[in-house]
Amino acid sequence: MTDGSDLLERRLSREDLLKLAVATGGAGLLAGRSSIADAARSQLAAENGRLQVLDWAGYGNDGGQAMFAQYVKKYPKNKPQFTVMANEADALAKMRAGLKPDVFRPYVGWVKYFATSGLVQPWDPKLIPNFKNLNPFMVKAGQYGGKQYGIPADWGFDAILYRRDKVKPKQNSWDLLWDPRYKGKIAWYDDPVEMLVVAGYYFGVKDPYNQSDAELKKSQKFLISKKHLVRTIWSSETDMDNAFASGDIWIAYAWPNDWVQMKAKKLPVVYMHPKEKPIAWVGMLMVGKGSPRYHLAHAYADAWSSTKSAKWLEDNYGYGHANIKARPASSDLLRALNLTNPKAVTEPNAHLDRDVPRRALYAKLWQQVKAS
Amino acid sequence: MAQAVGAQERPGRRLRARLDVTTPSLLGLPVAWLVAFFLVPIAIVAAYSLDALSLDPGKHPLTLQAWHDFVHSSVYLGLFWKSVKMSLIVSAIVVVLAYPLAYYLALSGTKRKYVLLLMLIAPFLTSYLLRVLAWKVLLGDNGPINTLLSTTGVRSADHPLTLIDTRFAVMLVLGYVWLPFVALPIFVSLESLDRRLLEAASDLGASRLQSFRRITLPLSFPGVLAAFLFVFIPTMGEFVTPSLVGGASGYMYGNQIVDLFGTGFPDWQTGSVLAIFLLAVVAVLTAVFARFLQPGEAKAI
Repeated sequence: MTDGSDLLERRLSREDLLKLAVATGGAGLLAGRSSIADAARSQLAAENGRLQVLDWAGYGNDGGQAMFAQYVKKYPKNKPQFTVMANEADALAKMRAGLKPDVFRPYVGWVKYFATSGLVQPWDPKLIPNFKNLNPFMVKAGQYGGKQYGIPADWGFDAILYRRDKVKPKQNSWDLLWDPRYKGKIAWYDDPVEMLVVAGYYFGVKDPYNQSDAELKKSQKFLISKKHLVRTIWSSETDMDNAFASGDIWIAYAWPNDWVQMKAKKLPVVYMHPKEKPIAWVGMLMVGKGSPRYHLAHAYADAWSSTKSAKWLEDNYGYGHANIKARPASSDLLRALNLTNPKAVTEPNAHLDRDVPRRALYAKLWQQVKAS
Repeated sequence: MAQAVGAQERPGRRLRARLDVTTPSLLGLPVAWLVAFFLVPIAIVAAYSLDALSLDPGKHPLTLQAWHDFVHSSVYLGLFWKSVKMSLIVSAIVVVLAYPLAYYLALSGTKRKYVLLLMLIAPFLTSYLLRVLAWKVLLGDNGPINTLLSTTGVRSADHPLTLIDTRFAVMLVLGYVWLPFVALPIFVSLESLDRRLLEAASDLGASRLQSFRRITLPLSFPGVLAAFLFVFIPTMGEFVTPSLVGGASGYMYGNQIVDLFGTGFPDWQTGSVLAIFLLAVVAVLTAVFARFLQPGEAKAI
């Protein structure tokens, strides 16, 4: 429940007032400013309860509090309540099974899928003051059909992390992930798509995200033939980090955060930029269709988009942030992520993750790789 | 006389009438529980396997396609067979290890047998997850076992034994976790053994080995079988232990079901097929072995 004094303390932007006036059939405008405020109060009063957020581990109250601290400060009675998603497929399964998050955060390759799924609705960027500071290329990547379905947030790469003191790559290539010299010391990433895409890039297929049946068969067969070299196929980043830190694995399909974590543990690590180019991704905040907390969701996205949150993310998680004003304290990270390049996530620097038309088939083939 | 008979019958009728009400009322709750939380969910999963229910919106015609794909998939059936083999090995080894333990506790005549029994199940006072994670530490490349091997010169520190993230690790941890569950039914069957049979055998000149082979073992067989099934059935569908200590090679059938329902691109139809198939195999196994669990049958063995 939300009490009246709390509502009065909330600041409404001019745009909010106009929107609310329209929503109430113009009655507010006719009746004067105090009536508009009344309408606003009733609109906000309707948005009560805790904001339901479906997000990855580490982005809720388990370490990611700084990302939404401004939101919590402003809306203490509507604190976010988190459900953890293992990945987008897991989020999809949860939502299809009835979970109705107000906000969730898939990555850029899923924008089209979710935009056409009937599970999400477009954002209204006018309700997000920090939207103007977001990288225009990434903003565009969050659009579908001219509407803003994804608010770009964190971004980074999928590449290879390895121990410099233990591993001597023959070349900077994805092939380190199946180098027989390091059998039992390699970790792959458990994702319905990405390992097949990596195999596709390795073979130089025309479109690794939309491989033909023959190409997919070849990629799958190749991964099955190399699986015996792999120690673990990680789905939990924490598990992988622990295995890497303990020395159980020396080579891993990894994210920039893992490089930051291992460096913090004083391990001699390299985050390789393979010659086939890394895969890049951009996190996209999405708002659930029919969300009863639509405006609160926007406030949450605004907190995530602030320069303060963005800098915290870069400094602590080692990812880039779509807010172009944010800069990390570490010059190493600035260089590694190519943060000054507004198009670091795309050609010629990296392959940006994209829609996979036959995602279900990719997933089925990947499951078979794991089961083989 | 007739009155006396009638007077005697009345309490009997009342008793029957009471029984008629008592039995359904006693059975009602457990039956309702079973229907609501066992049969209905199974029916729902079966409906998903036929696409009668689906995560995808819209109408779906009934189809056996997922069943057809499963039956013709060497990958899924291969994984199932791999899991069966792992479960069989774990169950057999654990039964062999647990039997002498239960035998000692039940037949040695020690006064402290219940204390020892309590010690056996003492690890269960801690969390399952904690115990499995403890193994993860023990079996790590830089864990105590490999450290011991390298400090004693048995193994080079640069080439530690790969113990974790293997099928061996999965079977070891499953065996450890299930050992008390195996020991208890064997202990109970040995505890209830009629000692006079052993005395008679001894009086008739049977050696201790002969007594064991011809009396103790056959009469404890139902307990052994129950213990075996106690391990075999749940480990076939196990997914937590393999996901924690199994790595890529310890991946089991249960992990595939979890992935199909969750972290893979959701394919509840195939996941349901795998789940129903596992359930059917377990049901058949239970039905086949159930006859050996009857006391009368045991005596006939």
